[in-house]
Parts: sequence; C-alpha cells; structure tokens
Amino acid sequence: MKFLCVSCDEQMKLKHAVGPDGGSVAVVYACPRCSSEMAMMMNPHETQVVGSLGVRIGPEAGAEAGTATSKCPFTGMLTDLGVPAAATGQVGGGQGVAGNGESASIPWTSEARERMANIPDIVRTSAVAGIEKFALDHGYEEVDAAVLERARTFFGIA
Amino acid sequence: MKTYFDVEGDGGSDVLGQVLRQRERIAHAMAGIDHVVAIGSGKGGVGKSTLTMQLALALERAKRRCAILDADLNGPCQARLAGLENVPLLPGDRGMALPRTLRGLGVVSVGSMVPEAKHLEFESVAEGDTHVWRATREFNLFQQLLGLVDWGRLDFLLVDLPPGAERTLQYAEVLGPAARFVLVTIPSALARGVVARSAAALEGTPNEVIGYIENMSGYYCGTCDGVRSLFGEGAAEAAELGFPCLARVPFDPRLASASDAGEPDLPRGPALRAIDEAAAQILSRVAKTT
Repeated sequence: MKFLCVSCDEQMKLKHAVGPDGGSVAVVYACPRCSSEMAMMMNPHETQVVGSLGVRIGPEAGAEAGTATSKCPFTGMLTDLGVPAAATGQVGGGQGVAGNGESASIPWTSEARERMANIPDIVRTSAVAGIEKFALDHGYEEVDAAVLERARTFFGIA
Repeated sequence: MKTYFDVEGDGGSDVLGQVLRQRERIAHAMAGIDHVVAIGSGKGGVGKSTLTMQLALALERAKRRCAILDADLNGPCQARLAGLENVPLLPGDRGMALPRTLRGLGVVSVGSMVPEAKHLEFESVAEGDTHVWRATREFNLFQQLLGLVDWGRLDFLLVDLPPGAERTLQYAEVLGPAARFVLVTIPSALARGVVARSAAALEGTPNEVIGYIENMSGYYCGTCDGVRSLFGEGAAEAAELGFPCLARVPFDPRLASASDAGEPDLPRGPALRAIDEAAAQILSRVAKTT
C-alpha cells in the first residue's frame, strides 16, 4: 500500500503510529513537501488479515527484527517508532518466552530464548511448555543451549 | 497524478522483499530434498495418512531416506501414527530439529504440538471472523514449517494433504512445480468422483500426478488368508480413474489397531505387498521423469 499527496503528487512518508489498541493501529503519514498529514486507521479485521500473511508492515529494518518473535504485523513499524515491545507482544520485557504474556516457569538464557525463533510462532508456546517440563523433570534450574541439546537427545530428535 | 506503479517502493515495508526472502528460506531449507511427493485425494476418510506412513516405511525398506510433513493442520494424524505425540518441537543447530520415530523416520506433525483434546487455535484480534483469514494463516504456518525444519538430506519428503479438491490445488501452488502427487481413492463411485475433481484441479498445473492408489480394495481375512470384497462387486470398475493405478491395497485390520497404537509396522500379507508395489511404482515413475 502506498500513499500519495494529491496536491504535491508526492509519496507520503510514514511519520508515527498510535496503538495498538484493541487490535487497531493508527498510522500517520506526512507529505515531505507540504507537510500535510493523514492517518490510516486499521480495524482489528484488517490487522488480522495482514498478520495472516506472515509479513511485517513498517520500515524494513524494524520489520525484519520483528518477524521471528512477534505476533503483531505492525511490530516493525512500532518498534521503529519507539513503541515499547510489551505493547506488541514481543519476546522480552517481562513477557514469557513464547511471547504470549505467560510467565516462564524456569529462567531461560538469552541464547536459548533466541533459538526458539526456529519454532513457528503458533506452536512455540507448546514447545516452550514441553522443554520447561523436560528441564524441571530432570532437575535443571535454567534452560540453556546445553539443556536444549540434552532434550534433543532424550527425545531422539535429530 | 502519479499511479501506483509510478511510485517506487511500497512505503517502507518491502512486503514483496519479505515474501521473496520467505521463499528463499523455504528453497534453502528444502535444498537437500530430492523429491517431494504429496499424498492427496480430495476425499476424507480414504486412508491418506495411513498410506502416507506406509509408503514412507516402504521407501525406507527400499533404502531411500524419507520424512513426512503432515499438512493436515486441523486433523493431524501423523504424530499418533508415528508414536510422536507429546514430543516437543526443539530448535536444532540449523532451524527446527526434525522429530524422528524410534526407527529414525522424520515426521513433522501439528499433532506433536497440539493435544488431541484441543484444536489448532490462532491468536486473533478479530474474533468471530476466522473464515476471513484462517486459511491464509494455515498456509503461512505450513510455509513456516517447510522453511524452518532442518530436513537435511532426503530422497523423499512425503506431504500428507488434508481433504478438499481445492486444497490439493492450493498445496500444489505452495509446494511448487517440482512436487508430484499421488491420489488415494477407495472402490466406490462416490470417492472416485471427488478424487477426479482433485485430478482435474491439478490438470492446469505443472505438477505431475504419478498415479492413484486404490485403498480398502477388499479386506484381508486372517482366518482364511484371503482378500474378500468390501464394497461389493463392480465397485472397483466404478472407481477407475483415467491415470495409472499404482496399487490396490486391501484393508488389513491388524494395521488399523497397530496404527492407533503408534506402531505402524504392517504385518506380512497382501496389504504389505501392495504397499511395496506402490512404492516401487513411485520409484520407477520418478526415475523416468527426473
């Protein structure tokens, strides 16, 4: 989607975003020539449809950063614009490893947490739960790369 | 006034670039797979999943490296068939580690991740309208699985498709032109009609339909050690399709109970011979067209 300032015949540039609020995000664009502003307001359905495509909306660098761990398609945009990660459901910031707001039952090292980006987001919560159960059952106090390795051996996974 | 195509870029998201990078990730992850064979039908309940598992085991008996990807995200069976329920997905050195059965067959199934008492749920900010976006989300998950799993070197990746003629076509588009298809039917005109629709849907694609397998082609009676009719005389003729039949597999009650228990070894008998024949046909036809 592109936005054109009709008066100036100039592509408008992303300026800032408001939200998310109940699944809705308002994104403000401004014309670089005349400074006119407009806001694109997305309802939850539009947000959901964009999210279903598996792409991120926003400046490229932020979009890439948000791809692996966030459920919100506007994470890239919001991260770039300084919206706190917790508001977008990203990993970190006190959120559980699965990024769903659940508290982890055992601490995770940052390396182990980062490796969970290799698990599809929709099933990451159940994967985290299975790994934490393995770790607790075997007396580990923290999930690190070595625990992930031992879990693979235990479950006979390549 | 400028048109859409006069304005370069897309406002900063690089959506097309993201899609291309996603395709590159999938191609990279699948680079070690020689053949992708999707097992479909269009019709539900004809035994696609059981046959997929049996074909994989038969191909392994023929010294081919195999893995199964369960594309039936809403009714996944492969985890139970493989005895891989409650085995968590784990990150590997390169992507997601490939879960394996005790004998080493790689099996990726949502059934390993979602207990049978639950259904696959996607978080949504637009509750009540799942029909609008659900299919898109499912294909996105399927593509994530294709691109994230560390498949390693494989001779065959068998993809167990969900029912639906339109789904068969959609999976052909997602898997790409090199993916081949095997369709499963049973000896009934009703099933034949639906399978014919799937075959018709694939006609407009570059994908090769290797042939079809007629499942439940009679049942094996262990008492008399013979195969008897299951759907009545003349049913087999009514189920003929206009492309090669790879094998006719009789129903074997021993397989049904073993599959439920996650021990899919098929005892010796007509069904095992038919499965091995189907695998041999697949190997032969793939060799001819590669």
